Amino acid sequence: MRNLGKLVGFVAGLSLAAGGAYAAEKRLMEDYVKSPMPPGFQVIVTELEGPVFADAKGKTLYKWPIKSIRNGDVGEQKNKPTCDDTVYKVNAGLMSPYPGGFTLPEVETRPSCLQVWPAVYATAEDKPVGKWTIVDRKDGKKQWAYDGFALYTSVLDEVPGDTRGGTRRKEGGDSPAYREPVSPAPAVPAQFGVYSVAKGRFLATSIGYSVYTYDKDTATKSACTGSCLNEWAPMLAAENAVALGDWAVIERSPGVKQWTYRKKPLYTRIADEKFRSYEGGDIPGWHNVFTQTEPAAPKGFTVQDTRAGQVLADKNGRTLYIYNCGDDAIDELACDNPNSPQAYRFAICGGGDPDVCNKTFPYVIAEAGAKSENRAWTPVDINPKTGKFAKPGEAGALHVWAYRGRPVYLFGNDKKPGDVSGDAWGEFNGHRNGFKAFWLRDDFRTNAG
Amino acid sequence: MMRDLGVQFGLLLVGMTALSGAAIAASNADGAVIRNGTIGYVLTDYHWAVYQTQDSKAECPTGMNDGPREQFKILFPDDGKKRTLLETQLARESAVWHPDVSPEPYPFKEATGKYAVGLNLDGKVGPNDFSSPDGAVKGIDNQLYRAIGCITAYRGPDGAVHYFGNKFAQQYHYDRVLLELTNVDSLTNDSDVTVTTYRGLDGLLTDATGNGFMPGGTERADHRWGKQFITRFKGKIVDGVLTADGSDVHMPASSTFEDVSVQWIRDARFQLKLNQDGAEGVVAGYVDVETFYRQLVQAWSTHHQSYGQLSSPSLYKALRKLADAYPDQQGHNTAISGAMDMKFVQVFIQHPPAETAAKDAETPARAARH
Repeated sequence: MRNLGKLVGFVAGLSLAAGGAYAAEKRLMEDYVKSPMPPGFQVIVTELEGPVFADAKGKTLYKWPIKSIRNGDVGEQKNKPTCDDTVYKVNAGLMSPYPGGFTLPEVETRPSCLQVWPAVYATAEDKPVGKWTIVDRKDGKKQWAYDGFALYTSVLDEVPGDTRGGTRRKEGGDSPAYREPVSPAPAVPAQFGVYSVAKGRFLATSIGYSVYTYDKDTATKSACTGSCLNEWAPMLAAENAVALGDWAVIERSPGVKQWTYRKKPLYTRIADEKFRSYEGGDIPGWHNVFTQTEPAAPKGFTVQDTRAGQVLADKNGRTLYIYNCGDDAIDELACDNPNSPQAYRFAICGGGDPDVCNKTFPYVIAEAGAKSENRAWTPVDINPKTGKFAKPGEAGALHVWAYRGRPVYLFGNDKKPGDVSGDAWGEFNGHRNGFKAFWLRDDFRTNAG
Repeated sequence: MMRDLGVQFGLLLVGMTALSGAAIAASNADGAVIRNGTIGYVLTDYHWAVYQTQDSKAECPTGMNDGPREQFKILFPDDGKKRTLLETQLARESAVWHPDVSPEPYPFKEATGKYAVGLNLDGKVGPNDFSSPDGAVKGIDNQLYRAIGCITAYRGPDGAVHYFGNKFAQQYHYDRVLLELTNVDSLTNDSDVTVTTYRGLDGLLTDATGNGFMPGGTERADHRWGKQFITRFKGKIVDGVLTADGSDVHMPASSTFEDVSVQWIRDARFQLKLNQDGAEGVVAGYVDVETFYRQLVQAWSTHHQSYGQLSSPSLYKALRKLADAYPDQQGHNTAISGAMDMKFVQVFIQHPPAETAAKDAETPARAARH
């Protein structure tokens, strides 16, 4: 059995001064397996990604695993960091059907990979520990790596616990080669796995089937017996399984043990066909299980049923949209946030015209003085003509809601609650340079993770 | 061409002597699958109807249309000139997402010829109409065929949309289309049946090859997420052919990566040859142009369109030019006559218990957690 840790605190919400107006939110957070780390590193349990490794200043560590995209591979192989100080000027032609060699937007100010993804350097005195190793860079420097992947921080992360540089959520087809937070293993028995989805960190079996709890159960006794077992299968524990942390074992009947999590016996639903299903949770008394749930949405936001599942919506029921973008240079820099070139977004939502764009996909306006309980959701000021962050007091600026530091949008042609007409709007079904609905649940495809 | 319904379908319903209702037992041949006057079918194959000759000379005498790659080379030749991403790739994607009817520097090749698959939607025989391939039916309205007939992607057997669109529909439960006939006395002749479309929730029952589909499966009708896809038609069966009309139909039409697209056929009508194992024929009507286009670009990226030399901005111009129904306030037609080939196999359709259905019928706006 692995060495399970105790429930740990959530630190991101404590950095009020650095992060702006939000109040700390108290939630159950995910536990993780403690393993040796080199000096100067730590684990932070973040609100969106659960436990992640961070440097001494609390900056989340990221990797850039290699990914095959349409016309080649990008990212990094193990032990071979490629992110350097080259400032790429033209696109690489990796995304079919367009060739390479064209001058990139805002090329005069385009940063290098290292400027937005600072490498986590090692000194000559540093020593490898466990999965933590030291790799040689082409520039002669040494860089920390975890499980072989070179480590970086993100300039988008402002306070400890931020994970604005990337996500562990499954990305859609033909999305860019995104950077991912690097994490310790979740503290779960080997039969289980934890998956980052839209609603939080989702507890499931090791291959991905949902696990459930039942209201009629207690911490020591399962009420699901007899015909109930035709529909629900207890998550059986081995004879030598022991309680640790959030996990315990009950004996259903002599010699038959069942796992419990946070004082609730766990089951799978026999009729579940797809991974990470929510269908069992629709049955009265039964619930999906999360090691931690997603941070609270701004007050007044709603959840709406659509033709495929559920989306997050504004107070009027209008579906929210997220903009995704990675450029086509060899270093695949993000173009999905207000610090990056807006020409990509304007092309997709406005035919190049910001005014058209702001009608097609308008920002979600935040009320004056709006506050968030977390760092996931923040009100920000945007210059709608440029799409960039506005300066304090700037005339014409819009006060809008942002998720992970990126504005969220509505779609101008959505007519009623539950409409998702703007979903998949943009290059590669909205995954590459375009808009996706803010899916919370998708019973048919994999939009919600 | 305005719609003038009722000639081909529907009128015969009036005055026909109805059989004595669903209580009458179905014929012996049909009895195995008609239960309580009900039989279900699930869609296994569909394609936009494109009449094809072997060498395509009759319908596409000047060949097939260019696609995104070919057009890009025309617009931005490899001439050593330095260009920006904004004026090349992003300009082309702007055209995809904000199409218009302005002229292009390359011709669009419409399908020509006398023949097309479809139905005579308006009961008239006009100068732009087609005849059925066997010549038996005149006045077939299928202007969509003119627009897509010379685009490789839409042509069988291996055009990208033709082949993969169908393959995805077989694969993704999102795209499951059910047809339920109620008040059925006979699959041979019945003057009054009700046809209801649903979205199904289950996989198709395949044969041992995995590529063929078998009757006798079970499908749960989606009364929760699929309300948009529930539509009722009045119909009749004559000599084993079902005709039904009177409603628009929304079809789930997801294709490549996680899109949740739909097709919207206005004033749709079915013509399907039925038996107890399956059904085959067409659904025809007026295809909403904007919905058709959005489904295309949201479900098929420019990369995927390139597989079949399908330029969506060029096709949009053709769709707008050829649209022939449902004019807007400015007099511009917003829908285009078209048809789909369809094949179904018989299934037993399950509906949720009444209390579950009633619960699902509610669409509460829940407060997000805060």
